[in-house]
Amino acid sequence: MNMIYIVFIVLLGGALLTFFANRISGLLRDTFFLLTILATTVLFFTKIHIGDTVSFTLAGLNLKWGLDAFGWYFSLIVLGLGTMAAFYALSYMKGKDRLGYFYFSFLISILSMLGILMSHDLVSFFIFWEVMTWSSYLIVIYSGRNVQKNGINYILLSALGAYAMLTAIVMVYANIHTLSISEMINTYPQFSHVQQVWLPVLFLMAFSVKAAMMPLHVWAPGAYSDAPMAYTSVFSGALSKMGIYGMVIVFVSMISYLPDDTLFKETFAWLGAITAILGTLWAIAQDDARKLLAYSSIAQLGYIITGVAVGTDLAMLSALFLAALHALFKGTLFMAVGAIERQTGTVKFTEVTGLIRKMPWTFIASLLAIIALAGIPPLGGFVGKWMLYESLINSNHYILVIAIFFASTAAFLYCYKFLFGFFLGQEEKEWENVKEAPALMVLPMLILAAGTLVLGTFPGILLKPADAAMQTLGYASTEGHLWSMSILFNEWGDQVLLRPLVYAIAGTFLFFLIILTVKGWKNTRYVSTKDISSSGEVPLEYENLTFSVNFYQPFLRAVGPVMKKRMIYYYREFGSGMEALFDYSRRIYNGNGQTYAIYVMIFLVIILLFKNSIFG
Amino acid sequence: MQEILQYTWGALVSFVVAFTVGITYMGLNRKITARVQNRIGPPWYQNFFDVLKLGSKETSIHHGVMQHMGPAFIMVTAVMSLLIIPILNDNRFFPNLNFHGDLVFLLYIMVFGPLGMALGAGQTGNPNSAIGVTRGLSQMVGFEIPWVMALVALMIQYKTTSIVDLMNLQAETGRWLMFTSPFAFLAAVLAMLGMFRYAPFDIVGAPQELASGPMSENGGKYLFVMMSAGSVFAFAKLTLYVDLFMGGANNLIILVVKTFILYLIPMLYGIVSPRYRTEQAIRYFWGWPSLFGLLAILQAVFL
Amino acid sequence: MVGTPVLFIAIPLLAAFLIPLLGFVWKESVRILPGLVLLYLLYLAVNLMGQVAHSGTIVEVIAGWAPPWGINLVFSPLTGLLTTLMILMGFIIWIYSYRFKNIDFREAVKYFILLLMMITGSVGIVLTGDIFNQFVFIEITSISAYALTAFYKGRDSAEASFKYLIIGSLSSMFLLLAIVLIYSQLGTLNMADIADKAHLMKPGFKILALIFFITGLGIEAEIFPLNGWTPDAYAQAPGPVGAAFSGIVVKAGVYAMIRVIFTLFDVSGTHQFLIIIGMITLIIAEMAAVKQDRLKRMLAYSSIGQMGLVIVAFGIGTEEGVFAALFLMLNHAIIKSLLFLSGSYLVYNSTEKYIHETDGLAKHLPITSFLFALGAIAIVGMPPFAGFWSKWSILSAAAHSNMILVIVLILSVSIIELVYYFRVVNRIYFFPKQKEVEPKRPTINALIAMSILGILILVIGFYPDSVTGYLHSASQSLLEKGKYIQDVLSTGQLFIQ
Repeated sequence: MNMIYIVFIVLLGGALLTFFANRISGLLRDTFFLLTILATTVLFFTKIHIGDTVSFTLAGLNLKWGLDAFGWYFSLIVLGLGTMAAFYALSYMKGKDRLGYFYFSFLISILSMLGILMSHDLVSFFIFWEVMTWSSYLIVIYSGRNVQKNGINYILLSALGAYAMLTAIVMVYANIHTLSISEMINTYPQFSHVQQVWLPVLFLMAFSVKAAMMPLHVWAPGAYSDAPMAYTSVFSGALSKMGIYGMVIVFVSMISYLPDDTLFKETFAWLGAITAILGTLWAIAQDDARKLLAYSSIAQLGYIITGVAVGTDLAMLSALFLAALHALFKGTLFMAVGAIERQTGTVKFTEVTGLIRKMPWTFIASLLAIIALAGIPPLGGFVGKWMLYESLINSNHYILVIAIFFASTAAFLYCYKFLFGFFLGQEEKEWENVKEAPALMVLPMLILAAGTLVLGTFPGILLKPADAAMQTLGYASTEGHLWSMSILFNEWGDQVLLRPLVYAIAGTFLFFLIILTVKGWKNTRYVSTKDISSSGEVPLEYENLTFSVNFYQPFLRAVGPVMKKRMIYYYREFGSGMEALFDYSRRIYNGNGQTYAIYVMIFLVIILLFKNSIFG
Repeated sequence: MQEILQYTWGALVSFVVAFTVGITYMGLNRKITARVQNRIGPPWYQNFFDVLKLGSKETSIHHGVMQHMGPAFIMVTAVMSLLIIPILNDNRFFPNLNFHGDLVFLLYIMVFGPLGMALGAGQTGNPNSAIGVTRGLSQMVGFEIPWVMALVALMIQYKTTSIVDLMNLQAETGRWLMFTSPFAFLAAVLAMLGMFRYAPFDIVGAPQELASGPMSENGGKYLFVMMSAGSVFAFAKLTLYVDLFMGGANNLIILVVKTFILYLIPMLYGIVSPRYRTEQAIRYFWGWPSLFGLLAILQAVFL
Repeated sequence: MVGTPVLFIAIPLLAAFLIPLLGFVWKESVRILPGLVLLYLLYLAVNLMGQVAHSGTIVEVIAGWAPPWGINLVFSPLTGLLTTLMILMGFIIWIYSYRFKNIDFREAVKYFILLLMMITGSVGIVLTGDIFNQFVFIEITSISAYALTAFYKGRDSAEASFKYLIIGSLSSMFLLLAIVLIYSQLGTLNMADIADKAHLMKPGFKILALIFFITGLGIEAEIFPLNGWTPDAYAQAPGPVGAAFSGIVVKAGVYAMIRVIFTLFDVSGTHQFLIIIGMITLIIAEMAAVKQDRLKRMLAYSSIGQMGLVIVAFGIGTEEGVFAALFLMLNHAIIKSLLFLSGSYLVYNSTEKYIHETDGLAKHLPITSFLFALGAIAIVGMPPFAGFWSKWSILSAAAHSNMILVIVLILSVSIIELVYYFRVVNRIYFFPKQKEVEPKRPTINALIAMSILGILILVIGFYPDSVTGYLHSASQSLLEKGKYIQDVLSTGQLFIQ
C-alpha cells in the first residue's frame, strides 16, 4: 500500500485508538496519542517524498493526493509544531476530563491539515478543510466556556468561508468537469472574466476566515482563547497557516492571470496591513494573556497576508518564512500561557505578577519568543520582517511599509506587557509557592524558542525549503546567487552576512555583562522587589505596588478613535436582525388548523390564477 | 582574525570618541539650559565627574537577572548603532560593520536596548519604572512613524537602504540631503525630539513625578553603564543624522560641529517647552511630523 | 425468485390482521411479528433489487387484469430503492420501539398495527402503478398517521392529529378531483397508460389536474405553504413515529408528487415551479427552525426544509439533479430518523420537550448524545459524513445547470441550519444539567437501532460508492419515461397474447 494512505490510516486509527483507550486507562491513551503523532511524523518525513502521488475514485470523482515541495514546507510547520504541542499536551492536559475527546480531535485536526496539504483535487481539499473546521471546533468548545458565543461564532464564520469555497469548487467543476487543482489552475486563464473574478474572491473568503483576516477575524479572539493552550499553539501556529497556504495558491496561480490583478493584490495587501494594525492595537488593550496572543496572532497573520498579496519573490519568501516563524514563537507563547495557567490558575496580567524567579525556564522561552515576535535582531523574526520591508519598498508599497512598520513598532507594547505582566514587577505573596511547570511542558517551549534563535543566525535552514516551495509555484529560484546558509539577501542584489552581526551583538552583550557582573561581584546581593526606593521610603509588606491595571492607558487614549467600534458589533447587529426575521417567519406557523387550511386554499388559488404564467 | 581585530579596534576607538563627545554634549546641555534659565549651572565637564563617580561606586544590591542584564542590553544598542553608522566618510579611521540594507537593521537594533532595559526596569518591581517604560514605549510608537517615513522617503528617492550609499551620493553630488529632501529632514528632526526625550517629551523619566522612571532602581555600576550607553547612543544618533542629511563628515572636527548643531535643536526646543502628556506627545508626532513624512514620500515618489 | 412485489402489500396487511389474534395466544408475538415481517420483506427487497439490477424492471399484474385495466405493481430501480429504504427504516424503527408500551398490551397492539399499516401504505404508494390505487394507499398511510399522531391521547396530540386530519382530507379531496379529471378525459387510471395518452388531454384539463395533484400531494410532501400540519404532528407523535414520518411517509409523498410531475404529465414550467416552491419551503422552514424552543418541532422544521431541498434537486431535472435528490432522500431518511430517535430519548421524561431540557445530558446519556451529535454534524453536510455527499451532488448538479443563485441560497440556508443544530449539540454537551430533568437511559434495542443508523452514516460518508450505483440506476429509471411506459404496457400486451 502507498505510504500516503498509511500515514492517514495511522493518524485515523491512532485517533480512534486514543479515543477508545481513554476508557481503559489514561496511560494507554497517552501512549497511543504520542505514538500516533510520532509515527506520523517519522513516516511522513522518512517515507513520503516530494512528488509522491496516489489517486483513486470515490463517488464517481477522481481524487488525487500527493506531496509537493510547497505542501511539504507547510507540513513541516504542522508536524513540527504538532509534535511539540503533543508532548506539551500530555502534561498540560493531565487530570482534565474528556481527554479521549480532546486527543481524538487533536489528531484528527493534524490529519485534516496534512490532508489539505496533500490534496491535489478540490473535493478532498474541501473535505479536509471541513474536517479541520469541525475538529478544531470540537476543541474550541472543549472547555465549555462561551460555547454558544465563541463556538458558534467560529463555526458560523468557518462555514461562511467553506461554503464560499464550495460554491467556487462546484463552479469550477461545472466548467471544466474535473476536480484537479492543477487542471483548474491551467485552465483558469481561459475562464470567462466573471468567473475569473469570482473564483478567487470566493476562495479567498474561505482562506481569509481561517487566516483571521479583517473583517472575517471576529471568531479568532474567542476561539483562540477558549481552546486549551496545548491546542491553541497548533491552532494559531499551524491551522491558521492553512488559510495562508490556500491564499498563496490563489494569489500565485489565479490572481496573477487577471488583467486587473493589481486591484486584488493591493486590496488584500491593505487588508493585511489593516488587520495587522488593528490586531496590534486590540492586543495592547487586552488584560487576558490568551486574548492578547490571539489578537497578536491576527496581527501577525496580517503581515503574512500582506507579503503573500504583494507577491514579489522576496515578499513571498518573507511571508513563507514568517509563517513558519510565527508557528515557532506563537506556539511557544501559547504554551507559556498554558504553563502559567496550569501553575497559577489565572491568565490575567492584572492578577499574576513576578513569576520570573519561580518559572525561569518559561520566562526564557517566552523572552526568546517575544524577541522573535517583535522582530528584534538577532532572532529569526527580524529576518522575516527585514525581507518584508525590503520587498515592500522595492515593489513601491511605500504607505504600506509605514503601516506595517507602525504595527510592528506598536507590537513592542504588547510584547512588553506580556513579559512584564507575568514575569516581572512586584513579587506578590499570593504567588510565592508557584513552581516551574513540568519538564514535559518546558522542553517543547524551549525547543521551539531555540528554533527562533537558530533561524536568526542561519535563516538559510528555512529559506531553502521555502525556496523549493516557491519553485513549485513557479517562482524562479533565489538560491545560490542570492543567499546561502547564513546570508540574507535584499532585492538590490546585495548580500548581508548575518553571522558577524549576530556575533557582534552577542560579543558586545557578553562583554558588558561580564563587566557588570565582575565589578563588585562579592558585594552585590539580591534584594526583593519590596526593597525599592519609593519616594525615599521602603514600602511595607502589605503595600500593593503592582502596576498592571490600565497598563497602556495613555497610548490607548491616543489611539482611542480607531478602536471605538469593534467589528463584532456590526456582526451582532446583523445577527440580531436576522434572528428577528427568523422569529417573524416562525409565526407563519401559528398553530391554528384553520389558518393552515386557508394556506392550502390560498396556494391553490394562486396557482390557479397564475397557471398560465407558471406552466407556460 | 585580522579582520575581527580591525573591527574590534574600530569599535573601541569609535566607542571612546562617542563616549567623550556624548558626555560633553550632556554637560553642555546642562550648562546651556542653566544659562537660559538664568542660572549659572555646572561646568561643562560635570558629567565626566558624575559618570566617574557612578563608576567608582560600590554597588551592593541587584533585583534579579533581568535587571542585572538591562544595562548590557542598552549597551548593545549603543555599540551596535555605532558599529553600523559610519562615523566618517569612506569609513576612514573607524572601520565598521555597515552593510547594504543596514537602515532597516538599524531601526530594529535601536529598540533592542531600550526594550532590554525595560525588562530590567520591570524586574525591579518599582511601579515608577514600569510606568515610565509604558510611557516610553508609547511615545516610541509615536515618533517612530515620522522617523520611518523619513527613512522610507530616502530609500525610495535614492533606491538604496544603505547609509554608505547615501553618504557617497551626497559626496558625489555635493548636495546635502537636507536640501534635496527637505521634508524628510523635517520629519526626521521632529522625530529626533522624541528620541532624545528632552522636554516636551520627557514624561518618560519625568523626574518630579516618576523619580526618573525606568532608571529609578539603578545606581552605581548599573547607572554608570546606562549613562555611558546613553551618551554613546546619543552621539551615534547624531552621527546618523549627519550622515544621512548633512553629507557626513570628512574629519572629526567637522563631525563634532555638525552634530553639535543638530544637538542644539532638541536641546533648545526642550528648554523653552513645557511637558506633554503621553497621549499628547503621540498625537503630536502623528500630526505635523507625520505629515512632513508623507510629503517626503510624495516628493520621493513623484519628483 | 424469492417472491413478488405483491408480497410487500399482502404480507404486512395479513400480519396486521393477525397481530391482535396472535396476541391472545402469546403476548410477545405482538412485538415479534412485525419485526419478522419487516425482516422478511427486507430480505425480499434486497433480493428483488439484485434481480432488478440484473434483468430490469419487474412489473406484477394483480388478479390477472393486465394493464392498463387492472392494478399493477412496478418494482423498478427507483421504486425498488425507495421500497428497500422504507422497509429498512421500518425495520430499524421496529427495533427501536420493540419495548414501546411495554406494560400496556392493548396500546402496543395498536401501535404495531398502525406502524405496520403506515409502512405498508407508504410502500404501496411507491410500488403501485395505478393512480387510484395510489390514492387508496395514501389514505391508508394518512389514516394510520392520524391515529399515530393522536397516540398519546393528550390534548395537544389530539389537536395536532385533528389539524393533520383537516389538511389531510383537503389533500384527499384534491387528489380525488385530479383522478376524476383524468379518468373523465382519458378513461384510464394506469399511470403508464396516462403517461402514454397525456397528450390527448385538453391542455386546460391537464394543467388543472396537475395543479390538483400538486396541491394534494404537496400536502403529503410537506411543501410550503401546505405543510402547516407537519410541525405539530411530528412534535406530538411518539418519537419513533416522528422518525417514521420523516423517514418513510414523507418520502412516499415526495415520490408520488415526483412521479406525477416526471412521468404522468409533460407540462413545461413544472421544473422551475419545483425549484421555486422547494426553495421557498427550504428557506422558510429553516428560518422557522432557528427560533424553535422545542426539540422535536425544530427537527420537524428541519425535516420540512430538507424535503424542500429534495424538491429543488428534483426541479433541476437533470440526471445529476435527480440523483442528488434521491441521495438526499436516502441520507435524510437515515440521518433525520437518527435525530428523531436519539432526540426523543434526550427529552424522554419531559412533557414540553424544550430544547433547554437537554442541557448537559451528554454525561448521563453518552451514546445517545454522541449519536445525536453525529446526526447533527451529518445533516448539516459536514464531511466525511453521509450528508456531505448529497449536498455535494445537489450543488454540482445545480452548477452544471448554471443555477448559481440556487447554490448561493442553499448554502446560505445551510449556514442557518448549522447554527441551530450546533446550538443544540453545544447545550447537550456543555451546559449544566437542569435539576428537574431526569434522563432516561435508552433500552438496549433502541441503542442497537440508533447505532445501525450511525454506522450507516459513517459507511455512506466514507464510502459513498456503496449506494451511488443504486441511486444512479434509480435516477435513470425515473427519467426514462418511455421505458417506464413500455415496461408496464408491454406486460399487459404479453398478458393479452
